[in-house]
Amino acid sequence: MALLETQGLTKRFGGLTATDDVNLAVEEGEVVSVIGPNGAGKTTLINQITRLLDPSEGDIVFKGESIVEAEPHEVAQRGVSKSFQTASIFPDLTVEQNAEIAALGAEHGSFRLNFFRHRNQYPGVSEGTRKTLEAVSLWQKRNTPASDLPYGDKRRLEIGIALASEPDLLLMDEPTAGMSPEETNATVSLVETVKEELGLTLVLIEHDMEIVFGISDRIIVLNRGRVIAEGTPEEIQGDPDVQEAYLGGADL
Amino acid sequence: MSDESANPTDAPETEADGGKTLGGSASENTVTRLRTRWEGARDREVTVIGLTIVGVAVFPYLFARAPVVSDLLQGYQELASLMLVWGIFAIGFDILLGRTGLLSFGHAALWGTGAYAAGWASANITEFPLLVVLIGVSVTVVLSVVLGFLSLRRGGIYFAILTLAFAQMIYYMASAPLSFITGGDNGFTGVEIGSFLGVFDLGTELPSIAGTLIGTWRYAFIGAFLVFSVAAIHRVLNSPYGIVFRAIRENEQRAQFVGFNVWRYKLAAFVLSGTFAGLAGALFTIHGQYVPLSSLYWQTSGEVVIMTVLGGVGSLLGPLFGAGIYLWVEYIVSGGYPFEWIAPYWLLVLGLVFVSVVVLFPEGVWGLVGDLRRRVATRLEEQ
Repeated sequence: MALLETQGLTKRFGGLTATDDVNLAVEEGEVVSVIGPNGAGKTTLINQITRLLDPSEGDIVFKGESIVEAEPHEVAQRGVSKSFQTASIFPDLTVEQNAEIAALGAEHGSFRLNFFRHRNQYPGVSEGTRKTLEAVSLWQKRNTPASDLPYGDKRRLEIGIALASEPDLLLMDEPTAGMSPEETNATVSLVETVKEELGLTLVLIEHDMEIVFGISDRIIVLNRGRVIAEGTPEEIQGDPDVQEAYLGGADL
Repeated sequence: MSDESANPTDAPETEADGGKTLGGSASENTVTRLRTRWEGARDREVTVIGLTIVGVAVFPYLFARAPVVSDLLQGYQELASLMLVWGIFAIGFDILLGRTGLLSFGHAALWGTGAYAAGWASANITEFPLLVVLIGVSVTVVLSVVLGFLSLRRGGIYFAILTLAFAQMIYYMASAPLSFITGGDNGFTGVEIGSFLGVFDLGTELPSIAGTLIGTWRYAFIGAFLVFSVAAIHRVLNSPYGIVFRAIRENEQRAQFVGFNVWRYKLAAFVLSGTFAGLAGALFTIHGQYVPLSSLYWQTSGEVVIMTVLGGVGSLLGPLFGAGIYLWVEYIVSGGYPFEWIAPYWLLVLGLVFVSVVVLFPEGVWGLVGDLRRRVATRLEEQ
């Protein structure tokens, strides 16, 4: 059984159909990239899976259960985490507190009436915080306010927050957007390490074709909201529809 | 407040100290060591509670009876109690404003309800001060759940407007339709507060040295609730709630996407702050033995916002000082000698104080204290 499945997922904004009858299945342990030209519906697709947007039609099934009625925090609690395209961090808190919040979310659940209980009663939280920050190599900078980090580090912290919430499925929205070549390389190797060490299932939205073809087990190509091709990197590379969508395949 | 121990401005400093100590002289060593110990102890629960107890115990003496200081401040016992009452209101309000980042403009409804409920209970149910307070708080908690449930549907400015609207609704309800309970424009006059535990008349002085320091039983009663409030809020801020509130303030959507039920935490922040507003309101009744209709008016909501900002949003004890300064200007500067020349303009004085604090010390009076402390510490180490 697939970890994540979408069935006929359709989202309309007025007259525009942003995702049109998208059926996809992501198996456990896979790295799946979703590519497509601007406006193809990639981000809309992710936003529906995390329940930020309500689909107009269709169903989303995660671990065999429909999550289409769930609240965003419930989806997160079930094990879907998202790293945002822009660094969505807690700017005035330190790097450590940023990760601590996410680790607490995973350890402690969505809400409890424990307002008189000291935070150090949750030892798993500091353990998870340290592990994550070491994984994204920000442990040395744990006392820095997040807003003082350079851009690349902010994006790494963003990924760290997503990881600290201990997901089974990680959705990454353009993790290397706006990064320098060095930062991009560091991020790619981070993603690879994380995948191997934690056995995460990844769904990646990415524009950089070098990364996509290097890292993915499978690629799904969207154009105007529809899946126009799906397959291994080799299969996608030779697909005429994909080359057409990308204006002669200049990137490929 | 322990989250402030991880304060970024402190952290690099402490590391630098460590390096310096190695090559430093003996006296430097002692200073650093004392300071490190202080930094460690500063935010611990026992320290915070201990310091609050000492502060509460010494304050009325300094303010109302000590030789030079009290002449300077022109303070008196009853004003000291009133400062504590508003202080409880403000530190509770800061859970919502400073920690969670929600500006409520309707906390008068909660404070006023606490006050009326306590007053009504004292006239109709029991004279025992503790029970009167308990009833005031309980009624307010119920109202906070309802108001929070309705107002938190919207964020930002809409939340502020909704809270204001509901609070004004309650004000008008109290002024006419419900005047058979509230006394309408005259306020609630039938307050009957008995003696504490049936033994100590709240108006009398404590025996011997305690009387000199603390003054009346009423002040001691209110002071005990202040200490309790500080301890309780300190606990809340160091529970998971503390960090979730901050997460919501900083980035609500992110907090939701790491799995927190943001809406419930906001409601929890609202109800917690409402609880302290109700407690303060009930104590206000015990303090004044009268509930004015103005306690429900929007101006009261504005006052607690000003006190909190003045003292320092997001600091545990700051709003206490904000409340103290506000009331000092309102009661002493407006009251004549030695301020006759400026008394008619006391609101202007308050405005100027407020503007200069906001412009010069955005972290409020408490932030200024923190700055000075750090500066002195750095100076000591440089010597």
